[in-house]
Amino acid sequence: MPVVVFIAFRLLWHRRLLNGVAVAGVLLGVVALIGIRGIMRGFQDKFLLNILKANAHVAIFSKELRPTPRLLDAYVEGPYTAEIAKQTPSDRELRIKRPTEILRTLESMDGVAAASPILVGSAIVAFGQKEISVSLRGIEPEKQEEVTPLAGYLTSGDMRSFAASPDGALLGSGVAKDLGAKVGDLIVCSTPAGAPLTLKVSGVFETEVTPIDHSRVYTTLRTAQTLLGKPDIVGEINVKMTDPELAHTLAERVEKIFHYDAESWKETYSNFLALFRQQDVILGFITGTILIVGGFAILVIQIMIVLQKSRDIAILRSTGFQRRDILLVFLLQGIVIALIGSAAGCVSGHFLLDFLGSLKIKQETLIKSDHFLVVDDPKMYGYATAFALVTGVIASLLPAVRASQVEPVDVLRGQVG
Amino acid sequence: MSGQNQWKFPPPGAVVLEAQGLVRDLGTEVKTRAVNEVALTIREGEFVSLTGPSGSGKSTLLYLLGVLDRPTSGTVLVDGVDIEALDDNGRARLRNEKLGFIFQFHFLLPEFSVLENVTLPMKRRGTWDEEEIEGRALETLKTLGLEGLERRRYYQLSGGQQQRVAIARAVANEPRIMLADEPTGNLDTANAGIVMEIFEQLVCERGNTIVMVTHEPSFAARASRQIQLRDGKVVADLDQRGGRQDFNPPP
Repeated sequence: MPVVVFIAFRLLWHRRLLNGVAVAGVLLGVVALIGIRGIMRGFQDKFLLNILKANAHVAIFSKELRPTPRLLDAYVEGPYTAEIAKQTPSDRELRIKRPTEILRTLESMDGVAAASPILVGSAIVAFGQKEISVSLRGIEPEKQEEVTPLAGYLTSGDMRSFAASPDGALLGSGVAKDLGAKVGDLIVCSTPAGAPLTLKVSGVFETEVTPIDHSRVYTTLRTAQTLLGKPDIVGEINVKMTDPELAHTLAERVEKIFHYDAESWKETYSNFLALFRQQDVILGFITGTILIVGGFAILVIQIMIVLQKSRDIAILRSTGFQRRDILLVFLLQGIVIALIGSAAGCVSGHFLLDFLGSLKIKQETLIKSDHFLVVDDPKMYGYATAFALVTGVIASLLPAVRASQVEPVDVLRGQVG
Repeated sequence: MSGQNQWKFPPPGAVVLEAQGLVRDLGTEVKTRAVNEVALTIREGEFVSLTGPSGSGKSTLLYLLGVLDRPTSGTVLVDGVDIEALDDNGRARLRNEKLGFIFQFHFLLPEFSVLENVTLPMKRRGTWDEEEIEGRALETLKTLGLEGLERRRYYQLSGGQQQRVAIARAVANEPRIMLADEPTGNLDTANAGIVMEIFEQLVCERGNTIVMVTHEPSFAARASRQIQLRDGKVVADLDQRGGRQDFNPPP
């Protein structure tokens, strides 16, 4: 063992109580970082995961009423006088034309796992006297299963009877609960445009994303077309990506190729993602501050020790220890404190997350869960340790430099003990 | 122990320490010339005592000779090496390899045992392996009558024992020159006598070179050579080989 390491460890051990306080400072910082991140990620990850499962990664639809490019523009240069006098939404159907071809093209594109046609509209479902306004989604069950699988979310009923019966409907758990309807019940569904239809509840699903469970009703595409008065019309195409992160790129390509609007899940949920980012920044700031305070514990304690030990430093220097040796002795102490603190912090943080994860807490806000949501991500421990180490090194740099600058002759001259 | 002087000093050997036109000004606003144009040559096997009244600059001179301080002008040559040509690391290495210090107070490190205190400079030097270092330390401690105290901390020792551990720390590393600043200043007469005996033994039996600052005339007289300082200048340089019989009190 190099003598510098030997001295550093001995000094650390000799003042173990004081250095223990510094270790505790780092430990608390690391626990806070792991704990807070774990809880936050628990919520965020669960939310994003469910969103990614229950929603298309990319939705292709015709949203805005944009003037179509004029033939005139191709031949006449400069400003033209033609003007649209009146254009209301009713002038243009919100539909995807030639959906089968688009679907086929999409499925051959890189990064696309599956694509399915869908028609979305507003409807009111009634069961007895109870009426609820819902978001009606007409799907092709087999194709939709490949894009946003529902079978796994069914709490009662089954996909097969839904796919087989033309008047079957899948109700979100919140909708079913509010209506008081169960599998096998007959509900009446009506829309402003079409005729009311009687549907049979063939299943209830629960995605655990509260807004979805409380608003969605699935029927077959054909039933939805009838209900919404849009025969043979496909309103949207849903795409599932092999890598959800590539959704944005595909959306841009699709817009260029088909001239339809394409929205990636990141755009659809941009408000939530922005919120999460905001959360990340705030909590990162808080945990960072806690760790930096831990660093200050190292700084203050080490400075105190250096000031107390200037005579011993002088004697080491007089026996031939170089400035660099002294610097290393004190830097090493800071690093060891940070290492022990972060190791202990990681272990405590892990137990904390374990404990929190085992808590049975019913929550039904944005997502539904019966226990405390936490994520125990190994990467967090890496970040926490790295951050603690960097803080430790920086915090012990000042005392170490100070120690290395001790001039032996200034201390020894006139020292009588 | 401080009985009759039975030691016979060896004849001086090669030059190990040389001061040339050494000047050191102390103080920031009002400068005092603590060491004024001192030129000295110290040879191997010499036991030199530096004496003089308070403020005569003897400690300052010792720190300059020991490469702990830097002169305002002039230079010091340790074993032929000009210290002005060395950087801070070079001077630290020089102290480590060629010089040994003994101060008025023992300055032992409280975190380390007696044995560890003695081994630290040797470990820094890296000339010997762990086993040899420990062997040397144990042997030196034994020679100085400290056998069995190796595992203790300094505060478990008497004042005389503490100072002997400090001597062991300087000696074990085999320095070319040992520099002692009032090594007996903190000790009672009996222990001070023991320290003097040890110094004489080191010079006469092992051929060590010692430069010792003292204001105790009887101890200064026991050195082989006495250099007297006044106002930073050398006023007398007496060869006293043969022991204190040759001692001539300064005018």
